[in-house]
Amino acid sequence: MPLTMAKAGEDLLIKKILGRDETKNFLETLGFVIGGIVTVVSENNGNVIVMVKNSRVAIDKSMANRIMV
Amino acid sequence: MNIKIALAGNPNSGKTTMFNELTGSSQHVGNWPGVTVEKKEGNLKGYKGVTVVDLPGIYSLSPYTLEEVVARDFLLKEQPDAIINIIDASNIERNLYLTTQLAELNIPVVAALNMMDIVEKTGIKINTEKLSKLLNCSVVETSAVKGTGLKELVSKAVEAAKTNVKNVPTLEFSKYVSDAITGIENIYNSYEYSPNSRWIAAKLFEKDKLVMENIKLPEDLKSAIMEIVEEAENKYDDDSESIITNQRYEYIEKIVKDTVVKQKRSGLSSSDKIDSVVTNKLLALPIFFAVMWLIYYVSISTIGDMTIGYVETIVGFIQVGVENLLTSAGASFWAIDLAVNGIIGSIGAIFTFVPQLMILFFFLSLLEDSGYMARVAFIMDRIFRKFGLSGKSFIPMLIGTGCSIPGIMASRTVENEKDRRMTIMLTPFVPCGAKLPVFAMFIALMFPNDAWVGPSMYLIGISAVIISGIVLKKTKLFAGDPAPFIMELPNYKMPRMKGVAIHMWEKAKSFVIKAGTVIFLSCTVLWVLQNFSATFEYLGAERVDESMLASIGGAIRWIFVPLGFGDSWAASVASITGLIAKEVVVATFASVGSVIPIEFTQVTAFAFMVFTLLAAPCFAAIGAIRNEMGNWKWTLIAIGYQTGLAYVLSFLVNTVGSFIFRGTSATERKILDISIMEEAAEGAVVNGDIVLIIFAAILFVAIGFMIYNKFSLSVKKAEAKA
Repeated sequence: MPLTMAKAGEDLLIKKILGRDETKNFLETLGFVIGGIVTVVSENNGNVIVMVKNSRVAIDKSMANRIMV
Repeated sequence: MNIKIALAGNPNSGKTTMFNELTGSSQHVGNWPGVTVEKKEGNLKGYKGVTVVDLPGIYSLSPYTLEEVVARDFLLKEQPDAIINIIDASNIERNLYLTTQLAELNIPVVAALNMMDIVEKTGIKINTEKLSKLLNCSVVETSAVKGTGLKELVSKAVEAAKTNVKNVPTLEFSKYVSDAITGIENIYNSYEYSPNSRWIAAKLFEKDKLVMENIKLPEDLKSAIMEIVEEAENKYDDDSESIITNQRYEYIEKIVKDTVVKQKRSGLSSSDKIDSVVTNKLLALPIFFAVMWLIYYVSISTIGDMTIGYVETIVGFIQVGVENLLTSAGASFWAIDLAVNGIIGSIGAIFTFVPQLMILFFFLSLLEDSGYMARVAFIMDRIFRKFGLSGKSFIPMLIGTGCSIPGIMASRTVENEKDRRMTIMLTPFVPCGAKLPVFAMFIALMFPNDAWVGPSMYLIGISAVIISGIVLKKTKLFAGDPAPFIMELPNYKMPRMKGVAIHMWEKAKSFVIKAGTVIFLSCTVLWVLQNFSATFEYLGAERVDESMLASIGGAIRWIFVPLGFGDSWAASVASITGLIAKEVVVATFASVGSVIPIEFTQVTAFAFMVFTLLAAPCFAAIGAIRNEMGNWKWTLIAIGYQTGLAYVLSFLVNTVGSFIFRGTSATERKILDISIMEEAAEGAVVNGDIVLIIFAAILFVAIGFMIYNKFSLSVKKAEAKA
């Protein structure tokens, strides 16, 4: 399922990030890699704040929808 | 021998704090990613001939935003003698990603495990020795804030630079990828030799744009390489850059497992708790508006207002003192006039507003230092996206409330080129600190009883940003969706008084420098132009209409006739002198107005304010625009748009206003009474109560907007079910 549908507080395994573009590569350098763990901290109309590799990252809806967990 | 050591690391890992400690500089620091957008150089304390270079933060050597390009280009093209890689130890896994890339650059790397004091508190233990062995480079524990570990770090870095012992990268890719890179390396070596061929081959595998452009491979070799890359991409069902990134992180995970002992996370951290309130669905916007209101209320209406009286007394005291001094020294009448009225009077009129601006800057730097700034971008993203900009564009505009120049520079963090240009173009619409004195003057002289005028300038500025955003997005030049919003949110922390003090000191210093150079010079020139005729005959107050200034104003005033303030030459001159610095507008009126009457009606005064608000900013800001746009074409487009919009809106204010208010007091001509100008205060610009009302109004609109969104969403859901 896309990250936007994930419940807050659960540790989730990243399965895939859809698309092939610069933004996807940027997400990956931030630590959103396949097999990595991501936790949703809070959600705001589809925009999410997540913890990944021990840092807190804010992502908007369009991008969060492309992260499959 | 001259040694250059670069500070490289993730955004917000403490590079600039480290730089300030190492060089004794006072560069601006803040707690949000993207504070440093330009490289800064300084001399290393205690060493001769060693330069330290502070670079903008980067997550990797594949830049995503413009300031990252600055850092990467420096590392690759200028080849420093050594790199100090600052690692935020509380976030070691992500930070090591860059470390593994830096280790491949063929430049000695010394790693600084920074923020160790914070890490120790959270119970995480890091085996530095083992980490050093695994990474194959020196690792030093530091705390830039407390100044610990810096001596060791510096001596190791200097030694590494002198001995030039390069790190042998320990990172190994999977057999398949490694073979593919070797294949590419062989193809590349058949074309040219480089000591970096392995790294270049890996970059070619990643299809790195800059490397590809730089080495200009012949087409047939290029396609041979692409064949290898495509094969790998098909095998992994992913793009080549992602394959490398994934493997890099796998490697780092292993290192971290071996060296870092983490304690189990126990519930939410305090930053998470604060975030759950300030980025909350319902509370985020009201809290933001409340914070902004508080800042303006305190800095301008309360504390700021109290300081104004002191400044006036001091300026008056200096004026009298200088006058007595010059008189007793037997100075000529015109020299006294130049010093007392031309220079001290004009600068004094501007200086009145400095304490308030300082307090405003104090609060803005608190915002930056606490970590709230990054959240503001996130909160505003929802709104800014509605008119085609990313939330990241909000940061430049917020900084622009102090001064447009750092605001324009902050636009580098905006990813999308078109949006970045638009942000540069629109940031000057937000009234900067230098425009406040102009508004304050007109409010005191023309609108003493109309509290709405000051806030209306902010509303007009913000509306100009929003409407321009919507309209410009429809044109070819700016069309397209903004880049998706991705931003690291740093941990909240108590603002460091040192950082805040540095910020305020820098502002005060830059203002004093500005007053002492540009403004001083232009006041002098203005006075000369105003008091001498074209044949350099001293005219004095009575024959000011024959002065050079009057001829210049007379020649250009027809431009401003449609705007309502073209009938006197003084206002025309003032709108041009504003290009030097917006404060000079006030100086011009003060200087000319003390000699001859300058007439305005309330309508034309308002038109003049709107024109000043939106028209081309000062030369310094235009320079910043030119710098960030990179060419004159876009600079001229930006300035043309700003001035064009200013002209049109100002024309509308004058025409419509004159029609609606014909026959009322608003169209009555009034002489600007310069003598009461010293009473002008920014308290008049932003009257406390009216600010409260306006913020309440915005708040209601925001809440209404949210309820409407909720409602339409549930209607859609119901429809979908049906």
